[in-house]
Order: sequence, then C-alpha cells, then structure tokens
Amino acid sequence: MREAGDQPERAPTPGIDFTEEDILEAMRAIPGYLDITPGDFKEVYRLAFQHALERLSRAVTAAEIMTTEVVAVKPDTPVAEVAAAMGRRGVSGVPVVDGENKVVGVISEKDFLTRMGVKDAKNFMSLVAGCLVTKGCVALPIKAALAGDLMSAPAVTVAPDTPLRDIAALLTQKSINRVAVTDPDGRLLGLVSRGDIVKATMGRVAS
Amino acid sequence: MMGAYFRKMTGTTQSPPRVGLAEICWSWLGAFLGIGAVAYINYGWLDATGLFLLIGSLGASAVLIYGSIKSPLAQPRNFLGGHVISALIGVTAFKLLAPHLWLAAPLAVAFSIAVMHVTKTLHPPGGATALIAVISGPQVTNLGYLYALIPVGAGALVMLAVALLVNNLAPRRRYPEFWW
Repeated sequence: MREAGDQPERAPTPGIDFTEEDILEAMRAIPGYLDITPGDFKEVYRLAFQHALERLSRAVTAAEIMTTEVVAVKPDTPVAEVAAAMGRRGVSGVPVVDGENKVVGVISEKDFLTRMGVKDAKNFMSLVAGCLVTKGCVALPIKAALAGDLMSAPAVTVAPDTPLRDIAALLTQKSINRVAVTDPDGRLLGLVSRGDIVKATMGRVAS
Repeated sequence: MMGAYFRKMTGTTQSPPRVGLAEICWSWLGAFLGIGAVAYINYGWLDATGLFLLIGSLGASAVLIYGSIKSPLAQPRNFLGGHVISALIGVTAFKLLAPHLWLAAPLAVAFSIAVMHVTKTLHPPGGATALIAVISGPQVTNLGYLYALIPVGAGALVMLAVALLVNNLAPRRRYPEFWW
C-alpha cells in the first residue's frame, strides 16, 4: 500500500534533480523570511515544471519536429530494395507512397519480422532465435515479395498541425514507432518518429 | 498501516534558513513602531473614553506583517479581512451561546478558520481575535459588534499603515506583495 502523503508516481521529469540544499541556498539569496519549507518549494517547482513541459508539448506541432528527408518506397518496390534502403539510412521504417506521393502504407522492421515467421515477440532477438533452429535463411519466404505485400496499411498519419502531445499518445496507443505527416490530400510531408519527439522535448527543455 | 500513520509524524523536510541581521532589525523596528502606535493611541487617548485599541491578537499579527512580510498570510487582504471576519464570528458565537463559553470558544475559532479559508483571508491571529471576543468578559462583550470596528478594525488599520511606511523603508524589502 502506498503511504498516505506520498505523491502519485510520475515519469521522472528531466532537469529537476536538485536537492533541498540547492533550494535552501536559493532561499538564502532572497532577503526576507520565505514562508515555505524547502520540501514544499521543491514540490511546487516539480509540478510547475511538469506543467510547463505539458504546455510546451501542446504547443509544438508535427510540422515543427518532423523529419522531411524521408526515403519513401513504392508499393511495387521489391522488399530486398526496401531492406537495403532502410539499412543504408539506418531507419527502422519507411512510408510507402503511390505515384502521386500519397501515403498508402508504412513498412517497418516489425512487418519484416512478422513475415519471416516471428510469431510472438516481434523483435530482432526472436528472429535470431528462429534462425538458430532453422536451416537456411529465414528471409527466404519473402524474397520475391514487394513493398505493397509487406506494408502495414492503411498507414497511421497525422496532419502537420497535430500537437506533439497527441502524436506521443498515438504512438503509445497503437504501439508504433513513427507516423507519416500528410497534407489534406494524403500526400507525404514528413515522418515523426519517437526519436524526433525525444529530440524536440530535450531542445525545449534546454532553451 | 499504523506504521505509515506514525511515520507521517517524523517530518520530511527541514526548517527554512535563518534570516540575516538586517531583516531581524527591520522586523524589530516595524513591530516596535506598529505596536507602539496602537499602544500609544490606546493608553494615551482612548483610556479616558473607556474604549481600547490594543488586543493580544495584534501582537500575533505583528509577527507576520513586520517579520514575515512576503507571506500570503501577512498581506493586507488577509490581515484586515481575517481580523474583521473573525471578530464578527467571535461576537456572534458569544451572543448565541453565552454563558456556554466552553462551546462558544471552539466554535468561534473553528468557524473563523473555515470562513477565512473560504474568503481567502486566512490570517492566523484572526483565530485569537475570535477567541478574545468570547473569553474576555464584559469589557469586550459589552461592545457587541462594535468590537469588529474598534478595537479590531481600527487597530489593524493603524498597524497596516505602519507596515506600509516602515517595511518599504528597507532597501531590500517591499510590502505588500498584493492588496486584494
């Protein structure tokens, strides 16, 4: 049972790991008697900081943090080329667009793993485990496949003015790692990954 | 369960730092002049009329409005509002419940705190002001609701005037933080 008076658990907030001694030093720097305990001040500061972070994350939009240099593939691109492109760019997912640059799906490492017979946990180590008990390459079944066969469709997309906070919620809720940012006609503008969100948050905190 | 309950009594943080010598001297001066002004009016002018201005709870207020001037509890809204509201409640408790002072006293203080909270005028000496209205005998109780004006309202106004004058003399002090 949680002790009464304890604060509800929250994700650690970056940038506020200061001590009561720091607060006491600050209080000494302000002349006059401050009618607050260091403990209460720390709590006020923590909540205010969290509030500021939430406010900032509401203000930041997809358009501001998205990656615009995105490698997109076509539905008829062979998966071998898709995999090679992902490997070259060091990304774990790419959007699939049609001839008008409209997003029709997304291919991620997970889509590869699923088709390569990884059933339970869709991660790399499950694939390795599968490899070690099978003869030959586990990628063989999809050798002739095209991007259109493997992709997850329809793609999860957001508008450029979607708040960062909503994107974070969407990623968590759908258990995905990126969303495509599209214009009203569905044409690809960019990609927001979990990494983009982390970077954006840290940038805001630092500035 | 019980362990958690008793652990709450051990505290979690520490006392704020001691203030500097200048702050102590300004607090002393404010309190001396503030209580001095009220006492002078009380003994010098009012004594002959049977009225009075100096009540114990103003001493408690001096701690706040001269010694802890940044505190929300020490701001004019709280200082004046807390005293006058508590005075009215104290007089009411006495009028309704005397001679059952054992009940009038706690009700006066408890309701004062509750109403000060509701009106955002919490001022700890208000509790004393309410209590004084109940327990002080005929000299106070004969005043009826006048108690809220003289000594309480007028005494508080004199002390507030001194607080505005003296607290703002100090180069690194400023009073009030807010009026209303």
